[in-house]
Amino acid sequence: MLWIRNGIVIDPKNKIKAEKMDIFVKNGKIVPEGEVRREECRVIDASGKLVVAGGVDMHAHIAGSKINTGRTMRPEEMRVVRNVAGKFRAAVGRVLLTAPAIGYEYAKMGYTTSFEAAQPPIGALHTHEELDAIPMIDKAALPVFGNWHLVFKCIEEKNLEKLKALIAWAIERSKGFGVKVVNPGGVEAWMYGGNVKSLDDQVPGFNVTPREIITMLIKANEELGLPHSVHLHCNNLGVPGNFQTTIESIKLAKGFSNSKRQVLHVTHVQFNAYAGSSWRDAASGAAEIAKVVNSMDNVTIDMGQPIFGHATAMTGDAPFQFTLHKLTGARWSNKDTEVETGAGIVPLVYLPNNPVHALQWAIGLELGLLVDSNKVALTTDYPNGGPFTEYPYVMAMLMSRKMREGELSKVNAYVQKATGLASIDVEKTLYEIINMTRSLPARILGLQNKGHLGIGADADIAIYNLNPLETDTSKDFEKVYKAFKSAEYTIKSGEIISRNGEIVKEVFGRTFWVDARKKVDMEAVMNDIRDYFQYYSVQLGNYGVEERWIKKPERLEVV
Amino acid sequence: MIVIKPKKYFEVCVEAELTPELATKSMEEVKKFKVYYGNRVVELGELFEVTKTGDEKKLVLEGDFSRVKWIGARMADGEIIVRGSVGANCGAFMKGGRIVIEGNADDWLGIEMSGGEIIVKGNAANLVGCAYYGDAVGMTAGKILIEGNAGNYIGEKMNGGEIVIKGNAGDFVGTEMRAGVIEIHGSCGFVGGDMRGGEIRIKGKFELLPTFRKTEKGWVGDVNVKGEGIVKSL
Repeated sequence: MLWIRNGIVIDPKNKIKAEKMDIFVKNGKIVPEGEVRREECRVIDASGKLVVAGGVDMHAHIAGSKINTGRTMRPEEMRVVRNVAGKFRAAVGRVLLTAPAIGYEYAKMGYTTSFEAAQPPIGALHTHEELDAIPMIDKAALPVFGNWHLVFKCIEEKNLEKLKALIAWAIERSKGFGVKVVNPGGVEAWMYGGNVKSLDDQVPGFNVTPREIITMLIKANEELGLPHSVHLHCNNLGVPGNFQTTIESIKLAKGFSNSKRQVLHVTHVQFNAYAGSSWRDAASGAAEIAKVVNSMDNVTIDMGQPIFGHATAMTGDAPFQFTLHKLTGARWSNKDTEVETGAGIVPLVYLPNNPVHALQWAIGLELGLLVDSNKVALTTDYPNGGPFTEYPYVMAMLMSRKMREGELSKVNAYVQKATGLASIDVEKTLYEIINMTRSLPARILGLQNKGHLGIGADADIAIYNLNPLETDTSKDFEKVYKAFKSAEYTIKSGEIISRNGEIVKEVFGRTFWVDARKKVDMEAVMNDIRDYFQYYSVQLGNYGVEERWIKKPERLEVV
Repeated sequence: MIVIKPKKYFEVCVEAELTPELATKSMEEVKKFKVYYGNRVVELGELFEVTKTGDEKKLVLEGDFSRVKWIGARMADGEIIVRGSVGANCGAFMKGGRIVIEGNADDWLGIEMSGGEIIVKGNAANLVGCAYYGDAVGMTAGKILIEGNAGNYIGEKMNGGEIVIKGNAGDFVGTEMRAGVIEIHGSCGFVGGDMRGGEIRIKGKFELLPTFRKTEKGWVGDVNVKGEGIVKSL
């Protein structure tokens, strides 16, 4: 039992704006005062300190074959020692961290939940083995659907029931959480060395277009009523002029509605917000995208903010990775995941004086500033945009114009011409930033008990050495950065796991998965699935992950 | 000057960044210098006999050092004389000074060195003057002279400096090389794959990839990466 005394709580979900209050914890949950006996509680004095829910990272690549291939091909990443084996496990990594390092670094920062954003269903076992190796945080994985032959077949036949059954089957088999779509149709086209360039290009070998894929998947996802919406990585990623495609894709959400959450989440939009016709005249399309997102109430986005320094581009968007490899000349690894999807990996360094990198950096911030803070979550698309350990930098930047001016003077002047960042005087409040890193991502993912401190919520709590009533976030950006960089206390399910940026206890979080089998007639698709296994390298009986193989599974049933 | 002798045969490799800097320290400090013996941290005096004569910035390593890694790593000046063979990573990241090895050298000799000189009287193994795992650039300056033979991957990703081999070398000489000179007085296997710049001179026989074009200067390539490196006979 815990009693967090006199903390200054910000809890956007419950509309608490910096109020001094006490929080009580029992059995890993937040409970009303009456349910605990004060004398039995461990008391944490949080006077003058910021008390918020544990951070929720809704889009990061933390487990699975992609990050592992990245580690294999980047031995130079493994020379930074973060923790020598002893009381806790050895943890190494510069930006590409090992599994223990991922858990430890999140915990030090006050984050307690993170979602692996792209999991090929056939690679589910690997992904779960790795998720199980990540300590400290709660996690889940989003299987990818946008280039799967069977999905294409259902869409070609316009058979919604079959598609719903396939989604329910695949999410159950892969112990996944929702529907991720990566460059719909484009990765299949890449199997023939091409890509799709617009929403209406036909996917080679199938009578479907990206527009149909996205629309049908949203329809199926909404009829199934999954906790999370379709999670879309748009077509034309990393191509100047792609902001038009992004806007068109966002507008596909029109006509759908859900009272609880968005119907479409568009991810790492920074990589999809370029105007211009080539990298020579590329500019920001963030303002246009922000206008569209702000005008719709059923779409959310996340930033995909680049951080200057080392990063590793790794996405299921295999054709884009090849383009990137050709552009930078860096190492490249390509993956073809049977009939389901593909992936590519390329090491990357974001340099402040490189005009393109500076432009990407500015666009990410523009999106964070211009989009309504109830619609944009804070991410770096780890490790594509850089380390998640620099989230505090992004938070401080969004809250302080003065800090942005300082940073702007250090980057390539092309940014002044190609983006509107210098003239944006928006300064997000601490309340908005807490929303963008806690309540909003939890709402987007459909996690009822995360991202807030109301009664019944999971006792995932972060306490920062920052007094919101006395701090001027616009001027004291250095203090804000330092405070968010290492939480004074990180509490996971009611246990103190980290203190002042030092791990004090290793715990293992749960792995969420969604079971929607009751919502569909599974027989609608089983014949097709059996038939398709002639193309797989495994037998149907060996496909997927059983719940008992996962360390701490938590099934969320859709009824 | 400091003379260091192994006290025993090492069951596992010792990792010791022995540099001439040690000669400027007191005997006490030298004996307490931390080295790795397998996964244990031990003091230098535990594994080696140390004697000091004079204040010259010089290290003399007497005996078999073939199981001692990282000798002369990151050294900036002074001299190391090895009266025997050395283990891997000798002269890694070296900035200046001189290392003379009277025996043989193991893999990773002079990796990513940016100055100074290494002389090997015997043979050297693989990966001389190249980039460390995953790094983009190998040796950038300085000189490596090998009087015997060398193994594979000599001067991989090399970006300056000079490597001279009096004997033969193995395959993949100057792979992804950008600048600098590699001179081989004997013969070698494949040379210059994905080479962008620099020069490789070979006296004996060698094998060339089909992606080099013949010019007055010698073979120029690797065309595959629009390279302007030169491969020619000495």
